[in-house]
Amino acid sequence: MAYTPYDWQQTLRQKADYVEDRLRAGSPVVGLSCETGALLLTTRRAQRKIFEIYDRLAFSGLGNPSDLETVRQLAVDFAHAEGYQRSPDDVSIQRVVGLAISPVLKRSFADPFRTPLVLKGLFVQVGDRPEDDLFFTLNYDGEFMLHHHHAVAAGTEFAEQRMKHTLSERTPKRKSKDASSLPLEAALQRAIDAWAIGSWALQAGILEPSQRGKAESGVEALPSQRETQEIWSKELEEGAVEAALLERDAKRERRLRLMSDEELARFLP
Amino acid sequence: MERQRFQGDFSRLLQQAGVSLFNVPAGSAETLSAAHGTTVIALKYDQGILNVADRRATAATGILYDEAEKILMLDEYTLIAIAGSYAPAAEAARFLRHSFKYYARSQLQDMSLEGKLAEVSRVLSQSVPSVLQGIGGFLPIVSAHDRAKNQGRIFFYDVLGARFESREYGAAGSGAEKIRGAFEYIVRTRGPLHEMPLSDVLREALLLLDIAASLDPATAGLGGVLPLAKTITSQGIADVPEETLRKLQRELRSES
Repeated sequence: MAYTPYDWQQTLRQKADYVEDRLRAGSPVVGLSCETGALLLTTRRAQRKIFEIYDRLAFSGLGNPSDLETVRQLAVDFAHAEGYQRSPDDVSIQRVVGLAISPVLKRSFADPFRTPLVLKGLFVQVGDRPEDDLFFTLNYDGEFMLHHHHAVAAGTEFAEQRMKHTLSERTPKRKSKDASSLPLEAALQRAIDAWAIGSWALQAGILEPSQRGKAESGVEALPSQRETQEIWSKELEEGAVEAALLERDAKRERRLRLMSDEELARFLP
Repeated sequence: MERQRFQGDFSRLLQQAGVSLFNVPAGSAETLSAAHGTTVIALKYDQGILNVADRRATAATGILYDEAEKILMLDEYTLIAIAGSYAPAAEAARFLRHSFKYYARSQLQDMSLEGKLAEVSRVLSQSVPSVLQGIGGFLPIVSAHDRAKNQGRIFFYDVLGARFESREYGAAGSGAEKIRGAFEYIVRTRGPLHEMPLSDVLREALLLLDIAASLDPATAGLGGVLPLAKTITSQGIADVPEETLRKLQRELRSES
């Protein structure tokens, strides 16, 4: 049977549907700059979710653990080969995501005879100042996007939009210079709030159009206090919060510091 | 997705990228100056390990540079002190740093001390062909805080990569040969180094370095640029403060 361009398009659509269906169940990931570093936060069952890629780079994401692992390995391999051949300063998030990973994802997605990778990734590079921090979100089809100050990855566009809204609306409209010089505690609290809203928005996915309508008309689409608490108690029953700070002024070579449960406990509702 | 897995092996990753650690260029022994002399010392003390090195880099009979760093950090708990040809040694240290980091990050667990020591051996044995070409080998002393045993350990190597663990001290370089006996003398007359406080051990180390300098032209003494001194304890690696070194330098110089 002949394989026509129409089939190809159809395949891509089916693949996208397949991936997006699976991503909807994933735990959202929040990335946020603060004074002392760049924070990544998500929740997990047993498997770790936040990883060090290189001296100033970290990665987290949602999706199939094996696919996340593939992307993580690609990033670590590329970063270390580059860091040794040139210098650690030449390993940038932009090169890792744009050169090493995105083309691979795109190829795999566009090849009709291969299973697509099921993941959404969030990469972060910590800079010397909060405004130098860079976030890259990476989609399963290889598409990537640069963000400053904060970034999110979640299973639906609606959830991402709600989370971004939460992260940015609470930043008072100041000059961009101090917009992200948030103390760690405040950043943690904000990231935890954003995660809950993302999780809620994923569950409220069926209401998507009407909620979006409300959001656009200026009415806040936010979970109630009780809903937030329910989301957390349900999540913490089976899993745990995972948060890591990629430290800005680390004397240690390893900048990525996983936060302990005690450190996180007081921020949870 | 089909891709090669390296199991955290950094040299295999580099191989695939077409990079090799030691390219052996064709050439004869006469065209390049031989191994560089130096003195590097690693001593145990009651809290950990002290590494001391002079900072002179020589080429043939001339002094090339008087601020060379011969004690290099491999990771948070491991130091390498190098004697011999600087270029391959520095390159090996850079390789090892990346190799340990690569293993830890890709495998999500730290490389064991044994694994790290074997990696140093492997690097040394890879450099053998270039040693035979006359490019010059290097002799490393690896000092590490063994977190499993919670103690400091010193290892030295021969040029082919054989590894030996040392109980009290390790020394390498042209100057070290001349003072090795003095370490034995200290251990036998004053007791094991690993029971002495840092201040005593540092004093002995600097004095011996100065003596080595007086016997070996390739070693810088306490007269000029301060030597480099680093410690490893359960807290990690730290520099011995410059004031401490300067104070000892003054004392020792006035005594001699």
